[in-house]
Amino acid sequence: MTPAISVTGLIKRYGDRNVVDGLDLEVQRGEVLAFLGRNGAGKTTTTEILEGYRERDGGDVLVLGEDPATAGADWRAKLGIVLQESRPLGALTVRETLRLYAAYFPHPRGVDEVIALVGLEEQTDQRAGRLSGGQQRRLDVGVALIGNPELVFLDEPTTGFDPDARRQFWDVISGLRDLGTTVFLTTHYMDEAQVLADRVAVMRDGKVAALGTPAELQALRGDVEIRFVLPTGLALDALPQLSKPALLTGGEVRIETTAPTPDLAKLCSWAEGRGLELEGLTVERPTLEDVFLAIAGDQAEAAS
Amino acid sequence: MNMLREQVRADLLAFTRRPETLFFTVFLPVIFLVLFEAIFGGQSVTLAGGDVVAQSYLQVPAFMVMGVISASFVALAITVVNRRETGTYKRVRGTPAPAWVLIIGQVVTSLVIAILMVIVMLALGSFAYGVRVELDYLPWLVASVLIGAIAFSCLGMMLAALTPSSEAAPPLANVVVLPLYFISGVFVPIESLPSWLGNIASWLPVAPFVKVATWAYVPATTLPWRSLGLLVAWGAVGLIIASWRFRWTPRRG
Repeated sequence: MTPAISVTGLIKRYGDRNVVDGLDLEVQRGEVLAFLGRNGAGKTTTTEILEGYRERDGGDVLVLGEDPATAGADWRAKLGIVLQESRPLGALTVRETLRLYAAYFPHPRGVDEVIALVGLEEQTDQRAGRLSGGQQRRLDVGVALIGNPELVFLDEPTTGFDPDARRQFWDVISGLRDLGTTVFLTTHYMDEAQVLADRVAVMRDGKVAALGTPAELQALRGDVEIRFVLPTGLALDALPQLSKPALLTGGEVRIETTAPTPDLAKLCSWAEGRGLELEGLTVERPTLEDVFLAIAGDQAEAAS
Repeated sequence: MNMLREQVRADLLAFTRRPETLFFTVFLPVIFLVLFEAIFGGQSVTLAGGDVVAQSYLQVPAFMVMGVISASFVALAITVVNRRETGTYKRVRGTPAPAWVLIIGQVVTSLVIAILMVIVMLALGSFAYGVRVELDYLPWLVASVLIGAIAFSCLGMMLAALTPSSEAAPPLANVVVLPLYFISGVFVPIESLPSWLGNIASWLPVAPFVKVATWAYVPATTLPWRSLGLLVAWGAVGLIIASWRFRWTPRRG
């Protein structure tokens, strides 16, 4: 089977600036891919090219085996799209909205099935305009699922959600994965990517700067940080020889190491031998957030 | 066909649930007719040909036309701009639904509301003001109202295509139609206008529509073919400009 999405050398110009500048990406069927990047990194532009809304200036794009620039209604019947900004008709109820969109597709899912999928059973006969922001977004996803799509695009679906709404939304996306739907999720929330995604692609300067599972990306910055309070009366050079030099800031010792196990073993036997308690001892891997900040660059860089 | 039926059903539902459009489209022309009848109902008007008729015979079809224009032109333009700017159309363009379902659906919705307006005005005129259409002329009335509604739907699409934002749509639509109502025989009999103003108005789309609809109530010897032709021509102009400038995605961003 062909990959769900396959992009090579994608280029999109606005004026003389390449917003997308030679982007390569492949998304497998049934995969949940989180597409990350700063504002202005070219995420939405890329997504809208994949959805067939925008034309590209160069490169090859295949989505479900077809070129979005020329694909027709049969191809669109296999997609579900949640745009960054869109509101369903406020005057229609949840059920009426889904019923209307079901009529657009050749093989729609049942309206009740979709209502259950997005957890709006209580709001079935409520008008879309009177739903909360989170519920409206879930209806949006429901509209994207009504056609029984093979591939779903979600462009920053949880922006502006409170934590509760975000967690409910994540359940909906996890449900999609269980149905075998391919999900292309644009977001700038690391925790969202970590919870939902099989793989994460980080976009920077119009290219994919890093690609891998959340664990692989974390491993990219492999340094584990060991910290503890320097025991009173001791100087830094009293510590045993470790793989990396220890740093002292405000009475706290910090060691960034790529070999945490032997370093810890040395430290602990050294402390135990002297009957010392290493206060505040912590061992931390960098979070995906730290990795993202390092890869995606700062705001100003991304915008230039 | 199922798609179109669901689209019209949804559009009509949405229409009836928006109190402000319902008021301006359905109730305002009715309120105007009732007021104008209360003020001018007893008066008579001398037509260009010399015949004298009760003013009610001109007022009922005139406000019927106003209702049809509200439904097909004003309400349609506002709805279309709104759906474009809120991303509803962009979203539907991402589904397999063909473009014509949205456009024809919207026009059919306007026609349904227009027909409803005709029925309300026919009934009101007939039962409240004793203004009847001879059965022989009813087909002409229905046909002219449908042609007028389609022409004004095309003009409504044109206005929507030229309107930059949701906020601009209601004032723009009203700025276009209100002066036209004044000079086209809706609020004021066209006979009482200065002739230069009447001449200008007779080339604009509202006056021919009023003339064509009035003919069913006050039949003259010759059918107003010129007015009907003008109405169709305006519809064609609207359609051409609309299809040239129409877009599905929001103007901002």
